[in-house]
This record gives sequence, C-alpha cells and structure tokens, in this order.
Amino acid sequence: MSAPSPTADQMARFAVSPARKRKDRIARATIFAGTVIALVPLVLIVYYLLRKGLGSWSGSFFSTDPTGNTFFKGSSIGGIKSAILGTVEIVALASAIAIPIGIGVAVWLVEYGRNSWFASTVRFFVDVLTGVPSIVFGLFVYIVLVVGTGSSYAGYKGSFALALLMLPVVIRSAEVILLLVPAALRESALALGAPRWRVIFSIVLPTALPGMVTGVLLAIARAAGETAPLLFTAAATLKTNFNLGQFMNSLPVQIYSDVTSPTTAVVNRAWGAALTLVVMILLLNLIARLISRRSRLA
Amino acid sequence: MIKNKIGALAGCALLALGLAACGSSKSSTSSSSSSSATSSSGSGTISGAGSTFAAPVYQQWASAQSGLTVNYQAVGSGAGITSLESKTVDFGASDPPLKPADEAAIAKNGSPAVQIPMFLGAITISYNLPGVQTGMKLDGKTIADIYLGKVKTWNDAEIKALNPGVSLPSTAITVIHRSDSSGTTAGFTGFLAAVDPEFKSKVGEGKDVQWPTGTGAKGNAGVAGAVQQTTGAVGYVEQAYALQHNFTYASVKNKAGQFVAPTLASTSAAGQGVQVPANLGIKIKNPGGAGSYPITSQTFIMVNKDLCKAGVPGGEAAAKNVVKFIDYGLGEGQSVLSRADYAGLPASILAKSKAAVATLQCNGSSLGG
Amino acid sequence: MARLPDRALKYGLTALAALILALIVYFFIRLVGEARPAFAKAGVFGFTFDNDWNVNAERFGALPLVVGTLVTSGLALLIGVPVAVATAIYATELCPLRVRAPLTVLVELLAAVPSVVYGLWGIFFLAPKLQGAEQWVADRLSSIPFIGGGAVTIPNYFITGLVLAIMILPIVSAISREVMSTVPADHKEAALGLGATRWEMIRIAVLPYCRSGIVGGAMLGLGRAIGETIAVTILIGDAPQLGRHLFGQGYSLAAVIANEFGEAQGLHRSALFAAGLVLFVLTLLVNGVARMLVLRASRGRRPRAGSDRAAGGGQLISETVAGA
Repeated sequence: MSAPSPTADQMARFAVSPARKRKDRIARATIFAGTVIALVPLVLIVYYLLRKGLGSWSGSFFSTDPTGNTFFKGSSIGGIKSAILGTVEIVALASAIAIPIGIGVAVWLVEYGRNSWFASTVRFFVDVLTGVPSIVFGLFVYIVLVVGTGSSYAGYKGSFALALLMLPVVIRSAEVILLLVPAALRESALALGAPRWRVIFSIVLPTALPGMVTGVLLAIARAAGETAPLLFTAAATLKTNFNLGQFMNSLPVQIYSDVTSPTTAVVNRAWGAALTLVVMILLLNLIARLISRRSRLA
Repeated sequence: MIKNKIGALAGCALLALGLAACGSSKSSTSSSSSSSATSSSGSGTISGAGSTFAAPVYQQWASAQSGLTVNYQAVGSGAGITSLESKTVDFGASDPPLKPADEAAIAKNGSPAVQIPMFLGAITISYNLPGVQTGMKLDGKTIADIYLGKVKTWNDAEIKALNPGVSLPSTAITVIHRSDSSGTTAGFTGFLAAVDPEFKSKVGEGKDVQWPTGTGAKGNAGVAGAVQQTTGAVGYVEQAYALQHNFTYASVKNKAGQFVAPTLASTSAAGQGVQVPANLGIKIKNPGGAGSYPITSQTFIMVNKDLCKAGVPGGEAAAKNVVKFIDYGLGEGQSVLSRADYAGLPASILAKSKAAVATLQCNGSSLGG
Repeated sequence: MARLPDRALKYGLTALAALILALIVYFFIRLVGEARPAFAKAGVFGFTFDNDWNVNAERFGALPLVVGTLVTSGLALLIGVPVAVATAIYATELCPLRVRAPLTVLVELLAAVPSVVYGLWGIFFLAPKLQGAEQWVADRLSSIPFIGGGAVTIPNYFITGLVLAIMILPIVSAISREVMSTVPADHKEAALGLGATRWEMIRIAVLPYCRSGIVGGAMLGLGRAIGETIAVTILIGDAPQLGRHLFGQGYSLAAVIANEFGEAQGLHRSALFAAGLVLFVLTLLVNGVARMLVLRASRGRRPRAGSDRAAGGGQLISETVAGA
C-alpha cells in the first residue's frame, strides 16, 4: 500500500525553524569569511613579490649565471640561470626518490600491513619524521654523507636531504587517500578473479590518483622552497653545472644568501629569484593538475 | 598509469642529464675525481667553505679568475673549519683564529695547519636618530652601558658628556643585536669585554651571548633593517653594509683616546698595532694606534701546509689553484677590496701573509709564489 | 599462475617498508650519537627542562626553546586549522561550481611560496604593519598574563604563529578537501532529503565522516609548523628566555639550530643535535595525543539526545554514518 501523503501537521514538524535557518546562515557566513581570510595573505604576498621582484626580470636574468662580481657599480651581477637549473635538478632527483618510495610504503601500509604491529611501528616512526625541522635533515646528510665520508658537498646529497623531508608527507597523505578507496571496489575486483597486484595497480591507484597527486605536489612544492636542508649538503656554486655529484646552486640558497647582501642590485636579484621560484612551482602545479584531470576522464 | 608515465619520463630525463654531464666537454666545471688530468694552471675547480662575512669578497675575487672556478659555500666559520678537517673542501675560511684543538684536528690530515689573514672589516655602531648626524661620539663604556640596558635614553648624561654641543632627543634607545651566531657579534662583544669589566662579567664575549636587553635580528641585513625601521634604534652593523647604505654611525673612542670614524683607512690602521703570533692567528681587540678604529676584526683562509699530502679533494691541480687564488687575494685582490668598502691588510701583516703562502707545498715541492 | 607477481609485490613492498623503518631508526641513532655529549653533561631532563640557554657559559637548558616551539605551533594550529577547514568546506560544499577550481588553485598557491620568502615578507611587511594593532591588544588586555602588557617587539611569538598558520593552510586545506570530496553522495542526500539545512548536512554527514582525515591533515600541518626552520628563525627573534608575553621575542628549537650551527663546535654542536632530538619527541607526543583523541571520538559516535530538532532524521543519519 502506498504511503499516505503527509498531513499539514507532519509537514510543519519537518519545516525548518527560524532558529535553524539562522544557524545555517551564520555558519555559512562564517565559512565564507574563513575562506576570504585564507585568501588575504595570498594577495598580500603575491603583490609584495611582484612589487619587489618583477623589476629584476629580463631575458638576461634567466639566461646568465650569477657572477660574484658585485662590488663594481655598473658591472653585471648576472642572473639566476644556475640557480634555476640547480633547483630543477635537485628537486627532480629528490622527487624521483621520495615519490615512488613514499607511495610504495603507503600502499604497503594500507593493503598489506594494515593494523599489524609492524605497520603501527612504521606509522609511528613516519609520524615522528613529520616534525623534524628541515635543517636537521640537512645536518643528518651532512654528518653521514659529507663529513662522515670525507667527501665534498654535492647536489645529490642535497637531494637526499630533500627526499627525507618529502617522504613523510608523501606517505601520510597517500595513506589518507588510499584508506578512502572503498573496500567494495577492491573486493569486487578480487571476486572477479583479478590478482592482488592487478587490483592495486589498475583499480586502487588510479582511483586514488587525483588525491595523491595533490599530496605529492604539496611535497614537491615544499621541497623546492626549502633552504635549510641544502645549506650544508648541496653547497652553492655560481656556475651552471649538470653534474649532481658536484656543488650545485639552487634558488632558495641563492635567495637566502643574496637577500642579506649590502649591494642593492643583489637584493633585487634575490626578490626576482623568489618570484621566479614561486612561478615555477605554480606552473608545476598547473601542469600536473591538467595531466591528472585528463587521466580521470580517460 | 599516467603517474607511471611521468615517473618513466622523469627517469629518462635524469638519465639523459647524467649522461650529458659525464660526456660533456663544454661543462664549465671539471669533475673533482678526474684530478689526475691536468696539472697546468688556469683551468680547474677549487672548493672552499666557511665565513659568511668573507663570502662576498671571495666570490668577487673568484669572478676575476679566468679559467678557474671557485666554489665557495658560506656555511659559517665553525662549519668551515670542520669541512677542512674532514677534507670536504680544498680550503677553509674563518673569522676567528684557530683554537689549538682545531689546529690539532686539521694537522691530523698529515700536515700542520696554516692560517693566512686575508683582510679586515670593521663593525659600526649605527643608529637611527633624525636630527643627529653621523659621527656621534661614543666610547666603549657607554656602548657597553647601552647594551647592558643601563643607558636607556639618547639624552642620558653619559652620552651627553661625550657630545657637548649636540642636541640629543629624549627618545628611548631601542637596542638591536644579532640573533644568529656570528663573528660580527664576537668582534663586537670582544671589544666591549676588553674595555668594560662589567660587560665582561655580565655578558662576556663570543659569537653568541646572552643579551640582557634588546631585540634580536637575523644577519647584518636584519639588524640594519631593524635599525632603519625604528626611531631611536642602535645596532652593530658590518662596515661594508653601513657604508654602502649611508647609515649614520658613531665615532668610537680608541685605546689612544681618539674618537675615530669607521673608515677603510682607520680599519687597516687597526691591524697595524696588533700582536702577531707565530701562527699568524691575530685577534684584533681594542688595538692601539692613534688612527685605529677600535672595533675591527679579521678573517683567515686556512689550509694544510702540504696540501697534497693532507689530501685535498681536488688533488694536485686544486692545490696549485688554491695557492693561485690566495696569491691573487693578497695581491690585486687587496685593491679590489676598497671599491666594496672592505679594508685591506696593513703592510706589515700583508707581508707576513705572503710569507706564509710561500711556505705552502705539494708533496714536498714548494707551491708558493 | 599470477601468484609470482603477487608475491613479488608483497615481499617487495614489505621490504621497502622495512628499509624505510631501518633508515628512520638509523637517523635517530645517528642523531642520538651526536647529541650524547650534551645529554651527558646535563642529563636528559636537565637539558630539556632547564631554563638556561647560555652558549658562552656552555650551559644548555632548552626549556625556553621548547616553550617557544609549542607556543608558535599551537598558535599556528589554532589560527590555521579552522580557516583551512572552512576553506575546504566552502570549496566542496558551498561554492558555485565555476569557482571551485580557481579557489583550489589559489589556496595551493600559498604552498608555492618558499619558507624564506614567508620569513622575509613577515618581517619586512607584515610585522611592522601589525605592530600598532598588537600594541593595542597588549594594552587593552594588559591584565591577562602572557597576552597583555609589555612592549611589542617586531620579531615576536604572535607574528611567528600567524605566518606559520598561513604556511600550514594549504596542506590542511588540501587534505581536508580531498577527504570531504569522497563523502558518499547518498549520505549527504539522505540528510538533505530529511530536511536538514545545508549547514546541518555538513555537520551531520560530512564532518564526522571526514574527522580522522582532517585530523591527519592537521597533524601534517602541525608537523610542518613544529619543523619549520627558516621562517621561524627570521620571525621569532632570539630571546632564549621564557617569553614573558605573546608579543615579545622568543626562540624555538628549530631556530636555535639554524642560527647557531654554522659557528658551533664541540659541546655546543652536540647541544644543537640534542635540541633536534627533543623536537622529535615533541612531535611524537603531540601525535600520540591527537591519535588518542581521534580514537576516542570515533568510538563514541553514538547519537546524542536532543542533538537535532528533526530527531528521527538525525538518528537515521548517525546510524548510517556510524555503520559506514
């Protein structure tokens, strides 16, 4: 028998009371205000960066290396070519290390380890790693790979330090996302006879991909902007260098050392470099987003 | 899927970069492992690390070298000494002279340590007082009292006594000091400790001290910025910085009783009156001499006496190039300094530095020249 | 059949996890080794809780640093997490569809700013601008200990906490957003269908579902705040004394390492490593507490009496959510 249509009395009971309407409005206004608040610093920072950094941008800014020639007014202090290339190389290597390993560990935690004591131990230690100050990663690599082996500063050592920095972020965020993949998806695939590895690679990972891309991008953005881990590991050199086994320049280190210079032109170069770094990271974000969006549709 | 493709692409790119580096002949740096290759001077790479104060100067000198790449990492004097001890770099740089423990540690590499004074720098007392021009007279005791928090306003009796005829406002003094460990702090507190026993016992001297009062700012730029932003502020700022930005700074009373402004000449003069120990580990602290600026400090380059025997990472070629670089610094490099508002060594010390360079060797055969 | 790839994957990944665990343990061990001389001198508790960091006298008590780290990170969470979650809610539930993607990009743009730029922007732009307002607050609230009274210095706890909050915004918001976007539509539709207002739907169907995910994101944000080195170094000043007030200078564990390592030797250096270790333990404790809270909250997810006017609907939703 079909349900009787509601009486006016019943309708009244479920009507939205003015108190609830008010709460709803206040809550939505607060949430909106919170969002606006989140965007205010962004506007301020972008404006500040543009104001201080845009003036330094020019063709030669990107195509010449910084020179140490800062004393003579009128002489060229160079651009930031080696810093840009160095950052790309160091961060690329760090990502190539941290991302596969990080996602691998996250997959293990979710698919195999689950709640075993071993998995709990791993989770515990990864959590502890999230709170390590970025400089300590650099110091660790410094005492193990630089002072410890008596060998010189090198780009790849900086990459190791950055990879250590990225690892807990990638693992944690990937784990959070992987846990949200519905069990039903996995189970139905397994029930259809797909082997475990197939389920992971064809079902679980692609479903989790957009979320993981976000986490990975944040990790890369963080690594690209970190100065402290590179100070005692990768070292700085002014010339462009494609050999990661050598001293290698990077944007954050260049910015950090330039911004304290007494020469105004050098300080301006620092701000130009800061703007460049932000733009680079943003571009990376956008490109990766486009790629991941396309994969979802495919 | 896509992620794997990106990963594969990245892997290929890295591989390509790596191959390019190995095979590249147009790369401007030579790999430090292939040091057996060339012994001819002129082309090569040397590495150094240490003092942040000296970094701009070494980078400037490096840019004047044709065919020689000098990679200098400004990690701080302490880390610079450690790097030399562990043979991470070809030369180290430090502002304070080597402690005996450090000398021993460096000597462990097979050859005694040699420290070579390279140039001098002064520390100005910069202030922000509209209406008061540069050249306010201050002496060590007054500065110490300001930094101890005993002198709180600019028109305090102590300051007035030194500056008769100057109308001083009653603005409160905002004391600014360095928040990071630095040789500049060491030089500044070294001077104050030498002239004021109360400062010595209450605060002491060192790269890092417990300041009884004042705000900390990071780096010379931080202190300079803080001074510029706060009316009534006073801070100790490196000479190059203060001169290039036209700060107002004080003329400080030296040991001989003269009030001296921090010019390049008075800074070099400060080096003249200093006791030079056998290992050249000079430490300029409230020097004598009528024209000396009293708050001056020095900076060194450190190497092992026999670079090759000690095992510099760059090998024989690097040893030769290090000497070439130091030679430049003690020669033409000294005239370059003044254009950047750094002070060169006085003649007496310069001669001793050059003599020290002449003793440097590579596996027994002399490199110096 | 397809057994071998399965086994290879399982053992491969297990080995990887074990390797990472070993690496982290080695990391710990190495750092403990470097820190031992400092601990030997003052004892572990002495080092952590002594209120005296005097480099010259070679006395290393890290209490003011620990407090500084906790205060600034606490501030960062207090300010940052609500704003981040609000942004996430807005982006997933309330904003017009066309605005969603640009909004997301904008918030993540905050992550693209390097920490050194945050520090410089904070000290050269933000701090002077806020100094007046901070002084006003300090004067008005001068009766409240710690917050009120005293002169406002340019580097201070508050500005550090504020900039840290901005820095953790993107990560907390991004993770919250990702988690919120996976809430099954039927949960939300059920709530709406039963007459819940928009906000009630969020409160009932979205937030409880996402609670542990949001906490996970907040933990990552906290980790970032605790471990942030360069920006904090620039913004906190360097007063290794227990901060007397919110708008005065302080110090933090990460900042002291950054400021002093280059020039440190011997006992001083090992004290800095010890400070790094104290930081790990701190993160550990905070994480542990957070986990406990989340566990307790998810266990007690029973419908509370009188929580909703539409009592029947509320109960149904709670049961659905609890059972998920």
